[in-house]
Amino acid sequence: MTKKLLASRTIPDEIIELVKESVINTFESILGEPPLYQENETPDGPLNGMIGNIAVFNPEHTLSLMLALPKETAMALSEVFIGMQLPFESEDMGDLVGEISNILAGEVAANIEKIGFRGQSSLPTATRGSDLTLFMPNKPPTKKMKFTGPNGDFWINMALSESK
Amino acid sequence: MNKIKALIVDDSKIMRSAVKRALDQLMIADFEYVEAMNGEDALEQFNDEIQIIFLDWNMPKMTGVEFSKAVRAKGNTEHIPVIMVTAEKSMGKVDIALNEGGANEYITKPFTADKMHKTIKRYFDDEGNLNTGKEKSEKKSFFSNILKS
Repeated sequence: MTKKLLASRTIPDEIIELVKESVINTFESILGEPPLYQENETPDGPLNGMIGNIAVFNPEHTLSLMLALPKETAMALSEVFIGMQLPFESEDMGDLVGEISNILAGEVAANIEKIGFRGQSSLPTATRGSDLTLFMPNKPPTKKMKFTGPNGDFWINMALSESK
Repeated sequence: MNKIKALIVDDSKIMRSAVKRALDQLMIADFEYVEAMNGEDALEQFNDEIQIIFLDWNMPKMTGVEFSKAVRAKGNTEHIPVIMVTAEKSMGKVDIALNEGGANEYITKPFTADKMHKTIKRYFDDEGNLNTGKEKSEKKSFFSNILKS
């Protein structure tokens, strides 16, 4: 697996599939029903909402995960997760998005371990704002995926890079 | 019903609230909560009155497993159930927490009140007191938990 990752200029399909499966499992366990993967959808323009950032890493590779939630999706998720809708501008909303990212990373780490990528999760961070655009300065292999859940759309961006 | 002093350790306030909400919902005991934001904070708050610990793994400053090891190293703490409540799901991590960290139980996030109940009910008697019998300090296999649920 290590040699394969180092040689590839794209994220291996098996990792993409396992991340996709992890996203579906994670959100199903939170929402009670699985989100649908929108195969031919590309992400829309700049985001007005929240981004949860987390990575699964080992000394060789880092798989960065960015969970992009439009404002409406984030607020609806808060209602499901804690039983009441959180104010979008609250600290608790950042806490919640970080925790959902953390749960997702735990699922991803367990899944990709099955194909030899043994790593640990970083601590999550969350960003809130409008007109948010994600950039990957060093142009690592990336993959963007859109999902539609019962509480709205969301995106996962992932990037695979060598650990520094 | 005596109050059970529970230490809830998680860097997420939302998750600390979720654990407290689930425990209150169970009505398995009358809990009094002490909260900590990471292992280091938890070590400062830990004292002889703490009767049960609910512990996240991935936290800044000191992880949950490091905290659990430190608590067990104090000695005379084996009667305190340590319940890991964490997003870490790989079997290797479960093994580390239970066998190296000294935790008694392992719950993965997100959890339901029902899952919490199944995991911790054996530590309480019908009157809401912590069991003082032999079984409370025995490690329960995470795998047997999975099979039963």
